[in-house]
Amino acid sequence: MLAKEIERAGIPTVYVTSLPTVATMIGANRIVRGPAITHPFGLDEAERRRIVERALTMLETDVEPTTVWEVEE
Amino acid sequence: MRAVHYLNQFFAALGGEDKAETPPTRLDGAVGPGRGLAAALEGVEIVTTLACGDDYFAEHEDEALAALLVHLGEIEPDVLVAGPAFGSGRYGYACARVAASAAERGIPAVAAMHEDNPGVAAAGFVVPTAVNVAGMRDALPRLGALASALASGRELGSAEEEGYLVRGFRRNYVAEKTGAERAVELLLAKLGGETRTEAAGDLDRVEPPPRVADLSSALVALVTEAGCVPQGNPDRLPAVRAQGWFRYDLDGAQTLASGRYESVHGGFDVTLANEDPNRLVPLDTVRGLERDGRVGRVHESLYTTTGNGTPVVVATKFGQEIAGELRDAGVQAVLLSGT
Amino acid sequence: MAWELAAFPADLLREPGPIDGVEVEIVQPGSPVRVTHVLDAVEPRIRPDGRSAFPVEGPAGEGRTNRLDGVVVLSCLDFPGEERPLHEQESIVDLAGPGAGLTPFAGMAAVVLTFSPQEAGHVAIDAEARRTTLAVAEDLARSTLGAEPAEIERFELGPADAGLPAVAALIQLSDLGPLYIQYVYGEPAGEAGLPRAFHPAAVLDGAVTCGEYHWAGMRNPTFFFQQNTLIRELYRKHGKSLRFAGTVLMRGYEQSADDKRRAAERAAAAAGELGADGVVITTDAGGNSHTDVMLTCRACERAGIRTTVVLAEETDSDSTKPILTDWVPEADSIVSTGNVEELVEAWVPERVLGGDLLLDGSPAASAGPIPVRNYLGAANQMGQLALSARTE
Repeated sequence: MLAKEIERAGIPTVYVTSLPTVATMIGANRIVRGPAITHPFGLDEAERRRIVERALTMLETDVEPTTVWEVEE
Repeated sequence: MRAVHYLNQFFAALGGEDKAETPPTRLDGAVGPGRGLAAALEGVEIVTTLACGDDYFAEHEDEALAALLVHLGEIEPDVLVAGPAFGSGRYGYACARVAASAAERGIPAVAAMHEDNPGVAAAGFVVPTAVNVAGMRDALPRLGALASALASGRELGSAEEEGYLVRGFRRNYVAEKTGAERAVELLLAKLGGETRTEAAGDLDRVEPPPRVADLSSALVALVTEAGCVPQGNPDRLPAVRAQGWFRYDLDGAQTLASGRYESVHGGFDVTLANEDPNRLVPLDTVRGLERDGRVGRVHESLYTTTGNGTPVVVATKFGQEIAGELRDAGVQAVLLSGT
Repeated sequence: MAWELAAFPADLLREPGPIDGVEVEIVQPGSPVRVTHVLDAVEPRIRPDGRSAFPVEGPAGEGRTNRLDGVVVLSCLDFPGEERPLHEQESIVDLAGPGAGLTPFAGMAAVVLTFSPQEAGHVAIDAEARRTTLAVAEDLARSTLGAEPAEIERFELGPADAGLPAVAALIQLSDLGPLYIQYVYGEPAGEAGLPRAFHPAAVLDGAVTCGEYHWAGMRNPTFFFQQNTLIRELYRKHGKSLRFAGTVLMRGYEQSADDKRRAAERAAAAAGELGADGVVITTDAGGNSHTDVMLTCRACERAGIRTTVVLAEETDSDSTKPILTDWVPEADSIVSTGNVEELVEAWVPERVLGGDLLLDGSPAASAGPIPVRNYLGAANQMGQLALSARTE
């Protein structure tokens, strides 16, 4: 999967998905849970901002393999 | 049917180490172990023996192969047999290369050597042998049998059935029992303490790269598996299976405008995404963060592929290609949107 | 509770009457015919007691059902319009040639129904096609009423030695929305309260029907439930090498990670309630349904129930190991039903039914090599057939 290959090239990658279980099984390392398959970044701009900010913070953080973060309200 | 037998200088009785520089030499009929091999062949005659010094081959591989292939082209045998090389590394390598080259040109070929011989990796069909010449008597009948099978052109059975080393390719076959029967058998075996499997999975893990030290000066790329493409899908990204991945030039765009982009993803209802494609690829948000200095720069190339219906090996290839471009562009972080 | 399945010879097959908007063609076994755009394959069945052969109310799997042996109804339809539905992939049955052995239908008389859909939405077109196909399948079996059966099979689970291992089948159905639905008593799998236990004979007796049109080579048409090899095998071995504990139907393509996890745990719980020591877990179609299977495997193993999983591979020709869509370390006992990427030799049939052009636009009569992936049920992951893959 893309996340793993980009990480293999040494680039920190955060994967926003509504199926974090799938992502962990395939081996992505930085995973942020999105609300739904049809809109993983949420419906409105405010929600989108929160999710993106969470994702950026994860990029700035060292993590254990296959770590999933929620987006706090 | 007709066979050509490849031997090194020693087994072709041309000499020992002192003759290891012998260039490719053509001899009539079977020579040395070729006589024992001839007796083990079924309906196949060794018409020619090709011999080459191990050192010559090692130092002049291209010329050696070229010369040998010329002979093979003239003879047009039904099968080429190389070795047995046993544990000899140079000889094993030469056997493997000769056999593989012959096979590439449509001549069925088999080599014989010890399973740890480094030549195994370069070969097609390999009949495993003992590590030294004491195993000759044991090897020749097995080598002869497979060579005869190859010469006859009949369909080969499994590695186990035909006596060759597993080459590692997955091939379909029709089992004697249905999958259901085999499943019940495997389960009962497992319950009885013996676990067997017809396919093994793989845990290929990549270590998480270190964190981005300073995002405010970093080049960040957006990549999506959601198949977000310019309207009308000019690259015709198929909904089922991406023929490739696509790189779209954002050209400074600050948002994905509805009606300009659309998702052709085959995995979900795209209504919400088409109303506002930023729901799939948050370009408007990330541009805002770029203006605010939260991230350094947004990479002007957006990469997109679909996550559905793509065989895993193909998806891996796409991932590697995209990763290569991102790395070459100096991208320092990636925001990947899935589904 | 016993169920009898009475088999009647194929020579009782009568031409069905004309149907509006449907071309009907009977093709003799082994004819050099390629059938394309195949939606479903159904065995002609009828119940002498007048109940439906494809009931919307249970329980099925009791009393007696008649079947026409050696006959299959194949429904064909090319959904119209530019808007291609999800995962639409060509679905082929070759009744002769190199692809004939990939499906069980080449040796049967095929009643091919080719639908020409009128102006209507896909959902309506599909519903009508399914309704008609099942009605034709039942109608064709009408000639068995009052005739002499060639064979009567009896499906009954008598007492079995408590020392034998208890084995259950966990069978995955799909539901991804219209055109990608398998039905239980006429209800979409996603609305049928799955996972839960069903009597295995009910699965054989028309309780499960198929309205799912993606992943041709990896999906299970109605016929494969009617003639389910796994359930038959478990009946066969009941009392001998195992106790057949029962069948759980579960749904693949649960849409969120939490739903997937919960469904997997409930499937394991259902297997536990049946008293299973071990389960065979089957898969339908491709993609994230494989994740549901792997999560179910894990949940069962953690509950102390041993598992064997049935899966197809998607391995390219250069690969030296099987490529599975998904995997967990607990899945250490896998049956491979073949590599769907392997190509089948090109074949030029004498006739094409269903549609002259494949979905990719190439002419069906001269399409070149076609991957196993496009042959209906060829690499089905219920263990119905004998295709497998090995490392050579």
